[in-house]
Amino acid sequence: MIKAWRVLRELVRGAAITARHFFVNMTFHTLRLFGIRTRRRGAVTIQYPEVQKALSPRHHSLHRIRPRPDGKPSCVACMLCVTVCPSECLYVEAAEDPDPEVQKLPAKFVVDLNRCCFCGFCVEACPVDAIRMDTGEIRLASLTRAGLEVPLDKP
Amino acid sequence: MNGKKPVGLTIDGLKVQAAEGTNVLRAAEQAGVSIPHFCFHAGLDVEGSCRMCLVEIEGLPKLELACSTIIREGMVVRTSTDRVGEARKDVLEFLLAEHPLDCPICDKAGECRLQDYYDLYGLYASRMIEPRERRDKKVPIGRGLILDRERCVLCTRCVRFLRLVTGTGELGMFERSLRSEVGIYDGRPVDNNYSGNLVDICPVGAITAEDFRFKTRAWFLVRRPSVCPHCSRGCAVIIESVEGYPLRRSEKRVYRVTARENPAVNGFWICDVGRDGRHDIDDGRHAAVSEKGAPVQGLSWEKALAGVAAAIRSVPGPERAGKIAVVLNARLTCEELALAKGLFVTGLGLGKVFFADRKPGPADSLLLTSDRVPNAKGVLDAGFTPRLPALGELAGAEVLLVFGSYILEHFGEEDVARALAGVPSKYLFAAHTGPLDRLVDAVFPVAHPAEKSGTYINTEGVRQSFARAVRPCPAVVAEGAILVCLANSLGISLGDADVR
Repeated sequence: MIKAWRVLRELVRGAAITARHFFVNMTFHTLRLFGIRTRRRGAVTIQYPEVQKALSPRHHSLHRIRPRPDGKPSCVACMLCVTVCPSECLYVEAAEDPDPEVQKLPAKFVVDLNRCCFCGFCVEACPVDAIRMDTGEIRLASLTRAGLEVPLDKP
Repeated sequence: MNGKKPVGLTIDGLKVQAAEGTNVLRAAEQAGVSIPHFCFHAGLDVEGSCRMCLVEIEGLPKLELACSTIIREGMVVRTSTDRVGEARKDVLEFLLAEHPLDCPICDKAGECRLQDYYDLYGLYASRMIEPRERRDKKVPIGRGLILDRERCVLCTRCVRFLRLVTGTGELGMFERSLRSEVGIYDGRPVDNNYSGNLVDICPVGAITAEDFRFKTRAWFLVRRPSVCPHCSRGCAVIIESVEGYPLRRSEKRVYRVTARENPAVNGFWICDVGRDGRHDIDDGRHAAVSEKGAPVQGLSWEKALAGVAAAIRSVPGPERAGKIAVVLNARLTCEELALAKGLFVTGLGLGKVFFADRKPGPADSLLLTSDRVPNAKGVLDAGFTPRLPALGELAGAEVLLVFGSYILEHFGEEDVARALAGVPSKYLFAAHTGPLDRLVDAVFPVAHPAEKSGTYINTEGVRQSFARAVRPCPAVVAEGAILVCLANSLGISLGDADVR
C-alpha cells in the first residue's frame, strides 16, 4: 500500500515538472509576444533535421583536406596526424609528385570513423594546416563499417 | 686495444683510457660522452669540415676539433662548457642557415642529426630574413639514389665513402665556397654494389633511396638485429619493419635492411644484394599449408605433418636408407642442421641426404662472396658432406622431403617434374612460392632467416647467433620446429640438442 503511494507520488512529481516547464516557457513566450524583453528566453525546439542550428566554429565535424590553388591536396603525407592519432584511425599512403616543389602527396588518405574520437589532434599536429575538421558534416552514419572509412584524398 | 699502447686522458672529469692514435671523438664515445658530429665516420678518414665537434682542450687557446685531434697522455678535454655550447650553437646556425626545413617530406626526419642536434644544442630563433637559397631538390645520381642539394651539409661522407671503401669515386665536390655541391661526373652515375650505404651514412636527408622514399616514416620502424642470409659473408644487419598501425591491422612490412656494425664481419657496410633482401622477406611468401598446389585454409602444419610422419612410418625400417630421400639447404641454421642430422642420419639412418642450394653468383672484392648461402661452413660443421642429388636418385625414393625449392636452380622444371612423378609421397618445406609447389603433395610454409633465431657460421668461420627480427605470419613455422615435431611423432630422441 505504502509502495503504491510512493509510485503515485513520483508520477505526480514528474507531471508537475513537465507542467512547470510548460508554464514557465509559456510565460516567457507570451511576454515576448507582447514585446516585453526578459533576460531569459523561452525554450525553442529545433525541428532537426529539417531545421539545422549553426555549429560553433570550434566544433569538430568530419575532416577535410584543404586543396592547393591547383586542386591538388595540400597534405604532404608527413604522417604526423597518423603519429599523433590516439585512436589509430588514419591511414595515409604517400606518393611521389612530379613537381619538385611538391614532391610528396597522399595517394590515399582514409579516416576510419569507426575509430575516430574527434579529438582534433590531427588538426593541431598538421605542419601545413592541411587537415581540418570544419566541414560541418555531422550526419556520419552508415549501414556498414566500410561505409565509415571515408577517403579524404580527393579534395 | 689491438696491442696499441693505452693513453690516459680526462674527458669531462672522467679518467679515460684509449688506444694510442685514437682521436678525441672516439675516445669520448668509448667513455660514453657523445660529441655531436656530421662529417666524422669511424669507417672513413677524418675530414674536419663540419666544425660541429669543437671541444675545449686545456692549454690550447682555441677550441679544437675532436675528430682531428689525436689523444695525448694527460690531455684534459671539456665537452660541455658554455664556450663549447656556444660554438656548437653557432656552427649549427650556419649549417641550418640555408637548410630548406622540409622535414615533413624528408625521409631522414626522425633520424636526422640536424634535427637531433638542434633539439640538443640549438633551440635558437632563426635570424635569417633573406629568402633561402634554392638548389636542385631531386637529382638522380644512379642506383635509385636521389640527391637533394638543399638539404646537403657538405660533410663529404658520401664522396669519401666512394673513394675509400669502394674505390669507385663516382661522387665529387664541385664549385667552391657558397656554391659548392656534391655531384656525379658527366655520364658516370653511382653504380656499385655498395651504393645503399650512402643513404645510411648521410647524416642529413640529402641522399635518399627510391626504394624507401616516402614509404613510411623513420619513427614507425621497429629495428631488430639479424644476420644477412644472402651470401656466405653473413653481414650483421638491422631489419626495420612495421607491424600493424599505421598499416592495416594484421598487416606487416619490412621497409629497410640497414647495416649493423660488426668489425669482425662487415665493419660498417653491407652490400646492395643484402639490402634488397627486404623483398625476400615480404614478397612471394607462403602463408598457409598448401596441398596439390593450392593453399588449404585452417589446416595447421602440425596436422599436415602427421601425414609426413605416416608416410615415413609406412616404409619398413631396413628399407628406409634407400627409400627415403631428404634434400636440405645451407640456409638452415646450425641448430636446425644438428636436428636434421639427429633425425635423418642418426635416427632414421637415411643414406640419401642431399643438399641443394642457390647457384653461386659473382663475388666482389669487398664483402659479397660468390657463395649465395649463409651457412655453408655450418653444414660442414654439423657433419654433413653436402652433395647435389642426381634426379635419378630422387626418382627412386618412396618418400621425399625437400627443404627449400633451390633444386630448380640446378635442374629444369620438366626434368624435376618427371623425376618427382614416380615418387609416391613428396613434401616441400619452403618459404617462397615457386613452380615446385604444384609438383609435390604438400607445401609447408617455413620461416625466412629474419623470422627465426639461430646461428650461422660465415665463410671466415665467425659464428653469429641472431634472434628473430620479424614476426612471421601465424601459419609460418621454423624448420627447427618441424624437425622436432617430426622426430617426436616418429619416436626418435634428438638427445640434448639445442632446439630453441
